[in-house]
Amino acid sequence: MTTDKTMTMTDTAADTGRKPRFSSDLPQVWIGMALIAITGFGPSLIGNSYWSHTFQLVNIYIAAAIFQNFLFVDAGQKSFGQGVLLGLGAYVTAIFFGLHEYTFLAAAGIGLFAAALGGLLFALPALRVQYFHLGFVTLSAAIVFPQLLMSLDHWTNGINGISVAVPALTQDGFLGISPLTFIVAVFPMIALWLHYGIRRSRLGRRMRVAAISPEGARALGIKPGYMRFIAFLIAAVGTGICGILYLPAVAFVSPQGFNVELSFIFFFAVVVGGRGQILGPVVGIWIVYILPNIALAQFVDYRLLIYGFLTLFTVMAFPDGIVGTIERRRFQRGISGRGEQAFRVDNFLEAMKGEDATEPSTDVVVEVRGGTKAFGAVVAVDSVDLKVHRGEIHGLIGANGSGKTSLLNVLSGMSRLDAGEVRIKGRDVTRFPADRIANLGVGRTFQTPRIYPQLSLWDNLRVGLDARREAVSDEIDDLAEALQGQFADDSADLLSHGQRRLVEVMRTVLKESDIILFDEPAAGLSSGERENFARLVHFLSRRMGKTVILVEHDLDLVWGIADVITVMDQGAIVASGEPETVSKDPAVQHMFLGEARA
Amino acid sequence: MLSEILIIVVRGIAIGSIFSIIAMSFNIVHGATGILNFAQGNMLVLGGFIAYFLANGVGLGQWLLMLPIAGIAIAVLIAFQGWITLLPLRSGTEQDSWIISTVSVSVIIGAAMLLTQGPFAYSVQNMVPSFRILGVRTPGAYALSIGVMLFWFFALRIFLKHTFLGLAISALRQDMDAARAAGLPVRRLQIVAFAISGLMVGTAGFLVAPVISVSSDAGLRYVLNGFVAVVVGGIGSNLGTMIGGPLVGVVGMLVAYKIGGSYQDLASLLLLVTILMFRPQGLLGRASARQV
Repeated sequence: MTTDKTMTMTDTAADTGRKPRFSSDLPQVWIGMALIAITGFGPSLIGNSYWSHTFQLVNIYIAAAIFQNFLFVDAGQKSFGQGVLLGLGAYVTAIFFGLHEYTFLAAAGIGLFAAALGGLLFALPALRVQYFHLGFVTLSAAIVFPQLLMSLDHWTNGINGISVAVPALTQDGFLGISPLTFIVAVFPMIALWLHYGIRRSRLGRRMRVAAISPEGARALGIKPGYMRFIAFLIAAVGTGICGILYLPAVAFVSPQGFNVELSFIFFFAVVVGGRGQILGPVVGIWIVYILPNIALAQFVDYRLLIYGFLTLFTVMAFPDGIVGTIERRRFQRGISGRGEQAFRVDNFLEAMKGEDATEPSTDVVVEVRGGTKAFGAVVAVDSVDLKVHRGEIHGLIGANGSGKTSLLNVLSGMSRLDAGEVRIKGRDVTRFPADRIANLGVGRTFQTPRIYPQLSLWDNLRVGLDARREAVSDEIDDLAEALQGQFADDSADLLSHGQRRLVEVMRTVLKESDIILFDEPAAGLSSGERENFARLVHFLSRRMGKTVILVEHDLDLVWGIADVITVMDQGAIVASGEPETVSKDPAVQHMFLGEARA
Repeated sequence: MLSEILIIVVRGIAIGSIFSIIAMSFNIVHGATGILNFAQGNMLVLGGFIAYFLANGVGLGQWLLMLPIAGIAIAVLIAFQGWITLLPLRSGTEQDSWIISTVSVSVIIGAAMLLTQGPFAYSVQNMVPSFRILGVRTPGAYALSIGVMLFWFFALRIFLKHTFLGLAISALRQDMDAARAAGLPVRRLQIVAFAISGLMVGTAGFLVAPVISVSSDAGLRYVLNGFVAVVVGGIGSNLGTMIGGPLVGVVGMLVAYKIGGSYQDLASLLLLVTILMFRPQGLLGRASARQV
């Protein structure tokens, strides 16, 4: 791993010279390329046809494992059926090329189409469900696929399989490297770059957010099902190409070649190599595939047992996998907590230009009419009427279980009213899903802040910027630049609870939401942090003109900043108005332990 | 024609009862831990292997003696597996490692059976005499499998509602943190839940060995059909599995009869996808109330 270290050091030296880079994705791409190049071209250059041939297959498997890695971690989809997609690519190409005498290119096109179609079939249930369900669906597919190849022998030749030869691809060319050797070495390299590129893109960040926290994603206007769908499609096309390359490399397909074991190889390689590490699949395939099949060829019957034990051992002993464990050491060596300085927002916001003191207007931007929401027999929100004006700080208080958070969830689209309607900026959004409401300019925070430790601190903020629908305003652009400069290589994992809250708030600022919903933001904050938070909310409303709806138990905080306070009890609104009026309301007095408020 | 329908229904329900038992064994572990054990199918087949090696062709007395041994042996094995599976979850950040570890245990058991016993299906002698329903001869083990399903359904019901241990395990399902705060030994209870699931599939595998495929590659198919049964019924609902299991069994039998045996797994897969697309909470499941 010396290469890794030197590369990292030179790269960080160019940066600030003090922080290690948050992610080693780029060096990992280069190392992966070097390893694939050596094993892909080396044997041909020295004229060893056995190794040349072996590594053709290894490189194809590496590419398939790279797509599995992407699907597994970046999109959060645990698929046990990637072997099916590879098999579809290979088999369909073989049928059209070997049995029906299409040209290889035309047959490959049909094969790719079939693999993509297979990916879409996987993705269909993924639109509705996730987590282990998909694992079972894909595992079923992996079991059914070879059975179908056998039974549909009219088309597939059944157990006899299909032999093909593609001499144009396999003949030795320049320096003894056949076109096939070249292509199967370059393809996993392209796959590495693709994985890296997607991860650095807006799509990749949004995909990862959706994978880690679907509800956090929906609050940013992302449809998690759609993200999963795209991910499956990308992985299916990539794996389908692997299948097409498999055909000339092996020159033969049969049902036994695509049984469930093949799918397990890709999955286990990702785990052993290191889930989510760009280089993981390269190392993983080397160990999982090469070790039992080539290095210990006399034990080839034990290979399934070896896969199983290797994977179990990895999960138990070093869950980050081989590359992941090295990467963690690297990162932890360079890490140092920055305490209170790790994340502050005041100086960034104060640096922002902007007109002074806007006052709440009389336009109603959020309105609920007769809103009712029940969970079984419990009526969480009971015919609520609520009006919130533009630029207003609206406090929503009440005892635990009084329906505050349920109401907030209705406003942000996380749950849907049984009766009544919700209007945001004059539009009826009663039946809108959360992502559409988010795209209307509603931002929210959660009781437990949604922080993604896999992403750098800056990327944690940047997903807010990614959620924008219009062009970035100059003001936000400057702010973003300042934040990037400061936090690009920081970890979000070390932040305190209060700082995590601020990250969420900053995210909604970058998103330029003009309506912000806070769900118990002060819970778990120190008194100093509460003061800061109160100033921040004031700033958001008065300086930036945002509408704030605040669910909170800290009555001092609410009375200190709110323009209007609404009190809920058992799902219904019992009082609403300016703080002074509300505190004199007899229906509310009992909440304050006899203490009068002004 | 009538006898055809009868065969399909009776055998479908009987085979489906086995799926239902696997589904119920999923439920108890899932309720207590949030884990679905991918190795459950291979554990059932292991129970069948115990029947083959220790109780094939023996007298009724020895056969009855071996039944609890099979149950306890598999229970111990699954308890150990559960302990291993729960270890990495202690850290809290690593919440999906169980998918990997239970799948790898399933692969290990399958591979070990393949290495030691070869790829053949073993046939185990029927202990219960066959009987006739409307003139159709039916192996006794079919009646046995329905009986085992009913037995475990009621046994679980009594255990979970009327014993202290069962109530404690039910509490984990309601609210893990509250259970921990109330001083329940959460980890130990979770391992007990694993062990009970082992007792279920161990005894079931032993009893129905004559009518299941006792072979190294059968486990995955059983676990998948068991999963389809639990999804059809609604995860967490044991009553649901008694609808889901037989439904999967009858559909599979119908397909085998009308189209061909090699399309049975495809039929289960299509059933699974259909349910997930149109009623992901299952027939008797409820949508969860609060997400955030």
